[in-house]
Amino acid sequence: MADLPGLSDAVEAGDRDGAVALTAAAIAEGVTPQAILDAMTDAMDAVGEDFQANLIFVPEMLVAARAMRESMALLEPVLVRAGIQPEARAVIGTVRGDLHDIGKNLVAMMWRGANIEVIDLGTNVTAEQFVAAVETHRPNLVGLSALLTTTMPSMGTIVGALRKTDLGGARIIVGGAPVNSEFAERIGADAYAGDAGAAVVVARQLLGLGAAGGGSAAPALGNAAT
Amino acid sequence: MSSRERVLAAINHEEPDRVPIVIGASNATGMKVAPYRGLKQLLGLDGEDRYIYDWPELGTVLPDEPVLERLHSDVRGVFDSFPAATIARNRARPAHSPFVDDWGSGQIEIEDGTWYPAVHPMADATTIEAIERYAWPDMDDPTRVAHLHDEAARLAADGQYAILATPWLLFPFERAFAMQGLEQFLMNLAAEPEFAEALLRAIAERCKTLIGHVLDELGDNVDIIKIGDDLGTEQSLLMSPGMYRRILKPIHADYIAFIRQRTNAKVFFHTDGDVFDLLDDFVEIGVDILNPVQSGSGKLGNLAEVKRRYGTNLAFCGAIDTQHVLPMGTPDQVRAEVRRAIGTLGPGGGYLLAAVHTIMNEVPPENVIAMVDAAVEFGRYQIRD
Repeated sequence: MADLPGLSDAVEAGDRDGAVALTAAAIAEGVTPQAILDAMTDAMDAVGEDFQANLIFVPEMLVAARAMRESMALLEPVLVRAGIQPEARAVIGTVRGDLHDIGKNLVAMMWRGANIEVIDLGTNVTAEQFVAAVETHRPNLVGLSALLTTTMPSMGTIVGALRKTDLGGARIIVGGAPVNSEFAERIGADAYAGDAGAAVVVARQLLGLGAAGGGSAAPALGNAAT
Repeated sequence: MSSRERVLAAINHEEPDRVPIVIGASNATGMKVAPYRGLKQLLGLDGEDRYIYDWPELGTVLPDEPVLERLHSDVRGVFDSFPAATIARNRARPAHSPFVDDWGSGQIEIEDGTWYPAVHPMADATTIEAIERYAWPDMDDPTRVAHLHDEAARLAADGQYAILATPWLLFPFERAFAMQGLEQFLMNLAAEPEFAEALLRAIAERCKTLIGHVLDELGDNVDIIKIGDDLGTEQSLLMSPGMYRRILKPIHADYIAFIRQRTNAKVFFHTDGDVFDLLDDFVEIGVDILNPVQSGSGKLGNLAEVKRRYGTNLAFCGAIDTQHVLPMGTPDQVRAEVRRAIGTLGPGGGYLLAAVHTIMNEVPPENVIAMVDAAVEFGRYQIRD
């Protein structure tokens, strides 16, 4: 019998082999892909909460995300066949002048863990590249990351350029070592996220999404700069 | 009181005449080239820019003596060198191509003059065999330290300044993520702990070998020796305290014990981010001076609590915010930040004023001047009460 609680536990513990095996078994047994997906997003929700509570740290979060990513490689074709779409779409990148990517990668992982499709533009991303990606992918979220104080002005430039384009309602979230909520507000971003766990909470608030596990959608909270 | 006497008093937890200033003596207490050029212009000085470790890709300057004097720096740095073969190889490489160091890790150029660590030679390694197979650098290469004895002897004979020895990045954890990439190494810490620990130990042994040679060359002509490992983020730690205590702390403890057997110099431990939850561990393993006291991060931001709990066991070097105040503040805001740090960390000695990490390119030179002048003004102990 399919062991979905076991799958959640394996993802949460970063047990990639266990998670992949349990995903394969669940698919083979004909468990609905939504239920399998929910088991994984539940696990990543717990990972995000534990991270924010300092119960786990970056290494544990990274291996949990890796276990989910490898399991999702099996599940994705099944989700596509069943017509199940991600809940939202995000474009993310580290801003021009900066190649630091661990913070950006953690946010991308946690967003994927929350069933948000992520288009990762990589590092050293220019305003033109962000604008082009928004026009191509029509995301619900745009995430900007910076580690260096030197690149904070670049973040302002990119938000300015995005504001001049048709964002189609996409909300802009910024984060990274030197960034804070006052800076986010000053450059015209919609929200600041202090870490990858917070990035999920803030994204859900901005988009009016409920938590994972098929729960009902929460009402939109408007501008959720924290 | 000479600069050296001032520093020695402070690191021995006595009040000198004023709070000592550390600037220009290492990468973490150093300055990038833009503010340095700005300073030289303000001071009407010229001369070619020189870089620590003779390494323009790192971009941290070796300030000229008149600049150090104007900045009231009480410390002078002595640096090891890349092996002669590494220097020759990099000098011969095509312009703008990656800089690869003696360990095999290196930097790529993002845009003109901006370099970023992105060459990770052991990115895919997960086995003990891969560690054993790796072509590790020769830490006994005499060209690394050949200049050190005379340089330190000259500074010591002059006697004016405290001598801070800063061999480049003999930091086991940071070296491990230079070899693998931060994300990859952190994942291995969680998923392949035996490999991760073996890699740290392989690196630490090489750090010890080289720092042994450095200390042999310096003899008694060194007051402070710098090691470290970045362990924190703005909010928290890069790994759990449990993981630190299990894997890395014994390596740091052994490393510090090795240093202490060879020198009376104080152990200066550089570690970025909010490391508040590890301060008891650092005291236990023999850290003397904590740097950079990243005052904008988490619990470490509560300088009064840091001083109250750890001020008798640790001296502090740093604490002047480089993420907001120095780059974006006015000179008056810089003065207020200096006054706050001195008022909190200064009483009883045990504080050396420095920026939290390298003074970056966007910091106005006027703010650097404001920082050191405020330290001279507010740091005088006889008028403290």
